[in-house]
Amino acid sequence: MSLIVDVLSGGVRGGTSIMYAGLGETVSERSGVINLGTEGSMLVGALGAYAVGVETGNPWIGVLAGAAAGGLLALLHAYLVVRRGASQFASGLTLLFLALGLTSLFGASYVGQPVVGFDKWDVPLLSDIPFVGPIFFQQDPLLYLSYFMVPLVWFVLFKTRVGLLIRTAGERSDSLTVHGYSVRTWRMIAVTVGGCLAGIGGAHLSTAYANAWFENMVAGRGFIAVALVIFAVWSPFRVMGGAYLFGTAIALGPALQARGYEINQFLLDAVPFVLTLVVLTVLGKKTLSSSPAELKRVFENAPPAT
Amino acid sequence: MTAITGDLKLPKERGKAQAWAIQALPVVVRWVAALGGALLIFSILLMIKGTNPIDAYSDMWSSTFQRSASVEEIFTRMTPLVLAALAVAVPARAGLTNVGGEGQIIMGGVAACGAYLFLGDAMAPAVLLVAMIAASVVVGALWAGLAAVLRLAAGVNEAISTLLLNFIALDVLLFLIYQPWRESRTGQPATQELTDLAKLPVVAGTAVNVGIVVAVVLVVAVQVLLTRTRWGFRVSVAGGNAEAARRSGLKVAFLVLSALMIGGALAGLAGMIQFSGVEYKLRPSFGHQLGYIAFLACWLARHKPFPILLASFVFAALSVGGDSLQLDSGVPAASIYVLTALILIAVLGFTTPRKKTS
Repeated sequence: MSLIVDVLSGGVRGGTSIMYAGLGETVSERSGVINLGTEGSMLVGALGAYAVGVETGNPWIGVLAGAAAGGLLALLHAYLVVRRGASQFASGLTLLFLALGLTSLFGASYVGQPVVGFDKWDVPLLSDIPFVGPIFFQQDPLLYLSYFMVPLVWFVLFKTRVGLLIRTAGERSDSLTVHGYSVRTWRMIAVTVGGCLAGIGGAHLSTAYANAWFENMVAGRGFIAVALVIFAVWSPFRVMGGAYLFGTAIALGPALQARGYEINQFLLDAVPFVLTLVVLTVLGKKTLSSSPAELKRVFENAPPAT
Repeated sequence: MTAITGDLKLPKERGKAQAWAIQALPVVVRWVAALGGALLIFSILLMIKGTNPIDAYSDMWSSTFQRSASVEEIFTRMTPLVLAALAVAVPARAGLTNVGGEGQIIMGGVAACGAYLFLGDAMAPAVLLVAMIAASVVVGALWAGLAAVLRLAAGVNEAISTLLLNFIALDVLLFLIYQPWRESRTGQPATQELTDLAKLPVVAGTAVNVGIVVAVVLVVAVQVLLTRTRWGFRVSVAGGNAEAARRSGLKVAFLVLSALMIGGALAGLAGMIQFSGVEYKLRPSFGHQLGYIAFLACWLARHKPFPILLASFVFAALSVGGDSLQLDSGVPAASIYVLTALILIAVLGFTTPRKKTS
């Protein structure tokens, strides 16, 4: 019993940074732009939040800084692909390297510095619920924020005018133009917001999950987020479920090892990627048809119709 | 270039050289401004960190290009980049995006190591090296072929699948070196070091392994393959318009499969050369980020084989320069990625006239 609770609460904790990044990538891809620089946005978000947290002593100001840093990096990606017609894959990877370099240059002095991070805070009453309580309600405040962020992103994307415009930019950009809206502007907004969310994910990693900064600490979570969005067929609630599933796969190994089971961690680490491939294969063309139309164009190397 | 030519109406009496100069001038200005801007921004960042940028650049230049050991290191580092960039260029001709160089390099290294461990050092060295090369090429091709099969059978996009396969390859590598292939239970997670017989020989008189020769030969071979053979022509037709290619009777499925597998084979070979010519052991960091850097090198070279040589040289020189930067100026070596990225942003975002999209 306690093993299952341990693994699941570890999965929720570890999955949260991936979830934030996945939500961001969902917003971005819904507008028709894939951002492989999500990993980079998480990195600058993690360092931004950590550094500002160290300097101000307030983790919430740190989170804001992390979101801003992640958003700025994504804005650069948006500018390059939307305004300068750069390849989305190449631009995303370029910004990943920019983030690796910047965080290495400016992060070195923060390695080993103590930070006032987010402490565990048990939600009154809810945390006493057996089984569910320890998994979902004995965590940190930034994680609780994600419980509101998921429905918020869903609501904005699917129930508001802003969301409609973002989705139209990714689905039928020509009709957006016809109605006098700028596809470019909406894509840039969506990609930047996506980067902010990825930055918050990075902030969770450095100020709530690890309470430390070290070089390249995101270690592929941004790419897991990109896989996750496809796995979740571009839906915020499925992103949430997928993030917990992937987080659990990653948390399972250490939990089992701590109890003396012989298990090779790396087979479990591969689970998110294998699962995503399996889902893509099983759903096949169905997944592709539910993907934003403009995104499909990006993948198929077709020139943008706009 | 064509757009510029089209806009200019040159009087007939002007000489060809003059006409060329008029066309080239804005291009040259744009390039100089873009690269200068990249250097300037990096200088500002260095100054914020309290490093004198002029000293840093001159130290970096002298210890990268004026020491023969560093120059040799550049050639050693550019070899896998060239091959992995070709691994992007060949599928790109078929309209395919291979983001999987990273995984294909790792699987190539793993296959070479597997062949070495299986055959042992009892074999004649030539046979051993040939077996390692064959294993890496075949496994690299199969790893990329997996993405091609998923695309053909289930409509899974190859850009996504090759990206996902990178991480699966990394986990395969880690699994092997943490358990079955680990040299010792207590030491660092790594395989045993190759015996001298299984190491690639060096080019006479240098410390550079023969991989660079292989890479240059393969650049020429790929250029010939893409531009001078029937297969190359068909692939570019399929890449241009798959539907038209299909209607004119081309076997598009075969072309997709073969283009991706040739790419995988090249990247697998890059992994073998990195393993047997440079690292001699599989470690957790084996081939780290070579695939992504090569993807960007190929992008910088606009998917053309000969420019890939230049782009790979530049990236390899920057990476050696990063090490110099750490030694001379005390700035972390990975900081050089900032300059690499700024150069990419400058060249790819700001050296071509703005595209006309709404």
